[in-house]
Amino acid sequence: MDRRGARKDLLAGATFVAFGLAFAITASTYEVGSALRMGPGYFPLVLGALLVLLGILIAVTGFVAGEGGEIGPVPWQAAGLLVVALIFFGFTVRGLGLVPSLLVTVFLSAMAGRHARVVPAVVTSAALTALSVLIFVIALQLRLPYFGPWFG
Amino acid sequence: MRQHQVDDASARPPSAARYLGRSRLGIGVAAATLALAACGGGGGGGGGEEAAEGYPDGDITVVVPFSAGGPTDTVTRLVAEPMAEELGGNIVVQNVEGAGGTVAAGEVAAANPDGYTVLMHHIGMSTAPSLYPDLAYDPLADFKTVGLVTEVPMTIVARKDLEPQTMEELVVYLQQNADTVTLANAGIGAASHLCGLLLQEAIGQTLTEVPYEGTGPALTDLVAGQVDVMCDQTTNTTGQIQGGEVKAYAVTTPERVASLPDLPTTAEAGLPELQVGVWHGLYVPAETPDEIVQRLSDALKVALADQAVIDQLADLGSAPVAEEEATPEAHTERLSEQIELWRPIIEQAGVSAD
Amino acid sequence: MGVLESLGLGLETALTPANLLFCLIGVALGTAVGVLPGIGPTATIAMLLPITFGLEPVTSLIMLAGIYYGAQYGGSTTAILINLPGESSAAVTAIDGHEMTKRGRAGPALATAALGSFFAGTVGTIALALFAAPISRAALEFGPAEYFSLVVLGLIASIALASGSTLKALAMIVLGLLLGTVGQDIYSGTPRFTFGQRELYGGLNFVSLAVGMFGVAEILRNLEGETRRTVVVEKVRNLWLTKEDVRRITAPVLRGTGLGTVLGVLPGAGHVLASFVSYSVEKRVSKHPQEFGRGAIEGVAGPESANNAAAQTSFVPLLTLGLPANSIMALLIGAFIIQGITPGPNVITDEPALVWGLIVSMWIGNLFLVLLNLPLIGLWVRMLTIPYGVLFPAIIAFASIGCYSLGLNAYHVYAVAFFGILGYFLIKLGCEPAPLLLGFVLGPLLEEYLRRALIISRGDPTVFLTRPISLVLLVLAAAAFALAVLPAVRRKREVVFEDE
Repeated sequence: MDRRGARKDLLAGATFVAFGLAFAITASTYEVGSALRMGPGYFPLVLGALLVLLGILIAVTGFVAGEGGEIGPVPWQAAGLLVVALIFFGFTVRGLGLVPSLLVTVFLSAMAGRHARVVPAVVTSAALTALSVLIFVIALQLRLPYFGPWFG
Repeated sequence: MRQHQVDDASARPPSAARYLGRSRLGIGVAAATLALAACGGGGGGGGGEEAAEGYPDGDITVVVPFSAGGPTDTVTRLVAEPMAEELGGNIVVQNVEGAGGTVAAGEVAAANPDGYTVLMHHIGMSTAPSLYPDLAYDPLADFKTVGLVTEVPMTIVARKDLEPQTMEELVVYLQQNADTVTLANAGIGAASHLCGLLLQEAIGQTLTEVPYEGTGPALTDLVAGQVDVMCDQTTNTTGQIQGGEVKAYAVTTPERVASLPDLPTTAEAGLPELQVGVWHGLYVPAETPDEIVQRLSDALKVALADQAVIDQLADLGSAPVAEEEATPEAHTERLSEQIELWRPIIEQAGVSAD
Repeated sequence: MGVLESLGLGLETALTPANLLFCLIGVALGTAVGVLPGIGPTATIAMLLPITFGLEPVTSLIMLAGIYYGAQYGGSTTAILINLPGESSAAVTAIDGHEMTKRGRAGPALATAALGSFFAGTVGTIALALFAAPISRAALEFGPAEYFSLVVLGLIASIALASGSTLKALAMIVLGLLLGTVGQDIYSGTPRFTFGQRELYGGLNFVSLAVGMFGVAEILRNLEGETRRTVVVEKVRNLWLTKEDVRRITAPVLRGTGLGTVLGVLPGAGHVLASFVSYSVEKRVSKHPQEFGRGAIEGVAGPESANNAAAQTSFVPLLTLGLPANSIMALLIGAFIIQGITPGPNVITDEPALVWGLIVSMWIGNLFLVLLNLPLIGLWVRMLTIPYGVLFPAIIAFASIGCYSLGLNAYHVYAVAFFGILGYFLIKLGCEPAPLLLGFVLGPLLEEYLRRALIISRGDPTVFLTRPISLVLLVLAAAAFALAVLPAVRRKREVVFEDE
């Protein structure tokens, strides 16, 4: 048996256990109540515990069976850039306004591409921002200011 | 150069710059360059009369704390049109939902006090401090009131096969069957929840409350006979009452409602203390210049006198408030009085949403 | 008034030039927003509501309804092409639809969706015209206990959505259920898992979850290596269905249409359940279930038909009783009110031209949709030839704006980032995202109905067994669970034996 193959299941199991624990522990701080008079904590507490159980089962069966292949390469840089791009948008769209915020967001995501270079990314960013304005603000009447109060 | 731009800005209030891009000519990058240039000198808030002069120049945003198509949204859109006409500007209605309207109110409290961000809120403005102990704003201190808009009556309705025929009989029935009757509402802090609290207080009994997510599903279960009693706005119940799908007992206003003339008032039925209406009002951030508040308030009065508005509010079983109520003074009085009214009721019911 | 007379009146109303035009505008807009990632019909209708105020009541409702079912149609296009479902039902379509795209069969997948939807839309509309009143009464028989049991059945059915490990699918469902509890508890007002952020009181949004778990995760997978996507584009040749395809989709379309027509009438859960109950049924009756999850055309035909039939019949409670079946119907109720029509059971007798005009227009709208979409298939497929370096930033841009526009809430955009990363890693670990999404959609309903049934029954748990419809549904759920788990256990054993 190839123990390395079990890594996937062990990691998946651990992820579920972690989420289950986080939900269950937080839920236990709410009023739990009883099965017939449930408080806000009851349902998530039970489900959290169930998720922990399932996570353990996944890890154990994975360890026993030892199946599953390699996890494979992870595009860390791209993942980081996309996360930053999305968070930047959420954080600045109100303050900076739609146009500057989107320009930066699209530029950052374009840079996540393989073999991305700055000049094409800038062009992509300008074109997509213009297209988005056209679709969302002009055609769909989404009322987002182009430039936000951070500009004065 | 800088001086020149500041002068320019006093004619065009600073916040207008962010809407400059709305001109149909300026798209994308072109708009970017244009508006960036225009923004250059847009600092410094104009105060007092200067600010009111030339107001409004650009879109005024009215923030509605509930979903598009809901009763508050409907009321807002009805009055926004004639108000915009009177102000000579454009009014944009924006729905910012969440946490019983406190997200929207918090946002407007923190908005630029330039008269371009206005909040439409209902009775929930006065219950929020009691329902949400961790509220980040103070309804009285962080806003200026513009005026009351309308008060939507509420109706006490039940599934159509509930035994009692009149409000008096209903009260007796509820008192005798308090442990089996179910009382639906549209969620914590909703108008129907508040009215339900008053009803329970009026009959001196605690009923089993069944909360729903919004009026739609609550009314559906009432029509289906899954729950017994509910108290909700005429906006939601009139069609079902007229269609005979629910049984109506009373309206919670001092006078009968034109669209449901046969329905007695709660006072007629011997429950004068059970009076509640979903009153709506307009607010601006506290630092907004008085002149602008006055302009908005004047425009509101004109809008409320508009025949189309009167007719459409009548369709909702409601009416515009009297002219003297569409003022900041009357509105502030109502708000503070309602905050005090609801605090003990909500505390006693032990409801907290934070 | 007889049905023929009513339909005559409806035709008369729907065929006026203005109503035809706005029906076309509605479905075209609906298709467009359905295709755009991150912006769904709810947001669009909310944004466009004010524009319709100036129109005649019937015209405005025809257009708004067109946006709704048009978006159901368009949503499957992005699900199939770029693995990005814009709506809960399209999440099911994405499973096999996108697999078909990867195998160079985007054209047949899109054609299946279009034809299946048209057929289902037609049947749904006929059902609406003939049986609206009796079925709306039947739907009211569903109380909280029945809904709870129905949702349980739906959850069990969603195990079938995963082609891999059953355990992992179960865990993903439970994680989805938990994510669905984020936000203010409707029974007590207690905010749960909100980290004190008021913006999260309304809970997470389906669109940001779907865009993250499907869209962003898919982007990251494509950025892993260079080879994967080029293959996709090269192999697109056939745009049309083969004879074999037509033979294979006929029965699933019929079954999906039947399921969707019935389930669509139920307020709340019905429309959501229709498409994946259909998927689960198709996988169960198929002679080659191993193809599901690897580009089975039945996995597109059934759910797409179910979803579109349900979109039509979800108008039943609205038109017969003035009660909204979902948030979009609630928006339409707002539109009624603004147009000066009091929504309620009287609308159908007081405003027959409006109701029947709307019903007939829905069939015409479906016809427009199929005429509009079939020729567009070539164009959509060509979308795949857009250089990926441009396509994926476009997805991020549209998704950011779309998710932000859901209540102008930045947290919906942050959620895209969070679930993008989470979804990516879970997929790498062999956990498919569809069951999580369905758990997320059904979780709040499950808890809501469970607690409501217990409140109304005063804490008597036998209510789920003493009410006959509820009992039948629970028995079905138990049977479905046994069917889902047993073969998996057996298969697993076989695999273990083979290894040894």
